[in-house]
Amino acid sequence: MARPLWSGSLSFGLVNVPVQLVTAARDLDFHFHELHEKDNARIEQRRFCTKEDEEVTWEEVAHSYDLDGKQVVVTDDELGSVQPRKTRTIEVEAFVELADVEPIFFNHPYFLVPAGESEGTLRAYRLLVDAMGKSGRAALGRFVMRTKEYLAAVRVRDGALTLTTMLFEDEVRPSSAIPTGGKKPSKKEVDQAVTLIEELSTDWEPDRYEDCYRERLRRVIEDKRKRRKIEPPEPEKQPSATPDLMAALEATLANARAGRPIREEPSSNGDRSELERLNKDDLGERAKKAGIKGRTKMSKKELIEALSDG
Amino acid sequence: MAPRSIWNGTITFGLVNVPIKLYSATESKTVHFHEVHLRDGAQIEYRRFCSKEDKEVEYKDVVKGYEVSEGTYVVLEKDEVKAAAGDRGKVVHLTEFVPAAQIDPVFYEKTYYVGSGEAKDAYRLLHEALRRSGRAGIGRFTFHDREYLVAVRALDDVLALHTLRFHDEVVSGDELEIEPGSRRPSRQELQMADRLIDALQEDFDPSKYEDSYREAVLDLIKRKGKGEEIDLAEQEEPAHGDDLMAALEASLGSR
Repeated sequence: MARPLWSGSLSFGLVNVPVQLVTAARDLDFHFHELHEKDNARIEQRRFCTKEDEEVTWEEVAHSYDLDGKQVVVTDDELGSVQPRKTRTIEVEAFVELADVEPIFFNHPYFLVPAGESEGTLRAYRLLVDAMGKSGRAALGRFVMRTKEYLAAVRVRDGALTLTTMLFEDEVRPSSAIPTGGKKPSKKEVDQAVTLIEELSTDWEPDRYEDCYRERLRRVIEDKRKRRKIEPPEPEKQPSATPDLMAALEATLANARAGRPIREEPSSNGDRSELERLNKDDLGERAKKAGIKGRTKMSKKELIEALSDG
Repeated sequence: MAPRSIWNGTITFGLVNVPIKLYSATESKTVHFHEVHLRDGAQIEYRRFCSKEDKEVEYKDVVKGYEVSEGTYVVLEKDEVKAAAGDRGKVVHLTEFVPAAQIDPVFYEKTYYVGSGEAKDAYRLLHEALRRSGRAGIGRFTFHDREYLVAVRALDDVLALHTLRFHDEVVSGDELEIEPGSRRPSRQELQMADRLIDALQEDFDPSKYEDSYREAVLDLIKRKGKGEEIDLAEQEEPAHGDDLMAALEASLGSR
């Protein structure tokens, strides 16, 4: 299990459950280091005082805030003194319907696990899991971790208490200035669009989506290691706005029902300009259907060649 | 004043192309400090040093390397990192639609607002269809040379684009190995907990929760700015008893 990031207690009325916070998201990204080009040695960042032009250790560093042009310096101890009382507690302030919480507020997911194995702790933890698990509700509370206060939603996932930090209301920008506009669509258009959405609907199954970027970056690193040539692909052309919405909806619905790729143009017969608008994944899919050999090793250009010859 | 867009592109669903602009929907309000030298209050700056030569290095002589084994790096040029972005360009193809309520909160990463570009009618139609169906369109989105899995859904009068975590980036509860404990909570304890939850139940209202810590930090800065002495008070910890039933009863009794 991951290292605890925070220890304290979850407080629910007068029930206190000692808990530890562990992350529920793992970082699978490839991380790069800065290197000195000449000798491939690692780059180190060192702190320097801009006035004395001398290196400074972290013990000699303070925090400064620009208060209307005046620099106010505060120390770690002073910052520590304003941490709210009960800083080691997540106090449940209210229970809400999870479905009513707009996802824009969700920030980082964690799990809360019982701290220690005392019988009392385990039973209090289990009580919260049992009581909250069946209700579909989330507990809201606040806590301080490192130097920030968080609003958090606590609920049950996979038989454990999970905590998701949330943004405060003033950290979500209003959407009123975002341009929308357009004329109100006709009932017929909306019906057709909803029918299309339903035709293309499926359950949310997260396992179906892999991080292709991570995989491509892995391949780029591998190619570079083996001194193979790396060529950035040509980005897909920007499609132009649809002139006739109704016709486009009907053609897409026809494609979906016939099991064709949904972006296949009605007049399409391997026309080259149409192929050039597709991205490599779509071209690969077409090449597979057309039974083109060696398609997985082809570049986008070669795929277009092969498909328009066919 | 209209906010500034951070990305212009196209969302497609089938053969319908919707030109769009993306806007930041969130901003951190955490109080940010500069690092200064305690002795003279001068700004701290970071300088790059070669760990081998112990000499300062200019940024133009810095490259990015991936460590394949201890001390062995594969150096990638900027263009080579770009090659991993794929060929999607500035298009988000919504290839399928899922009930928005099925997406567990754990998957949501960052939210952007989607505004209309030209062809506003198409934007309005997509918004209305997503709103009525209660579904989110799933697609992929390339931003700053990185590809994301995204969900596009109706949020009030605009469309929202949420980047989503991939399934393998989410830790499951089975990996935690939580001790079950020898005694399950009694029925009576469960009923009491239920009553307590009911008593604390309310509608979700984000305006009720203010970042009191941020306020306290800003207040501290103001007091310090006036030259006030700061009292470094100790914190107290809550006690936790082992008598669950008594604690539940007391909680209900105090309401």
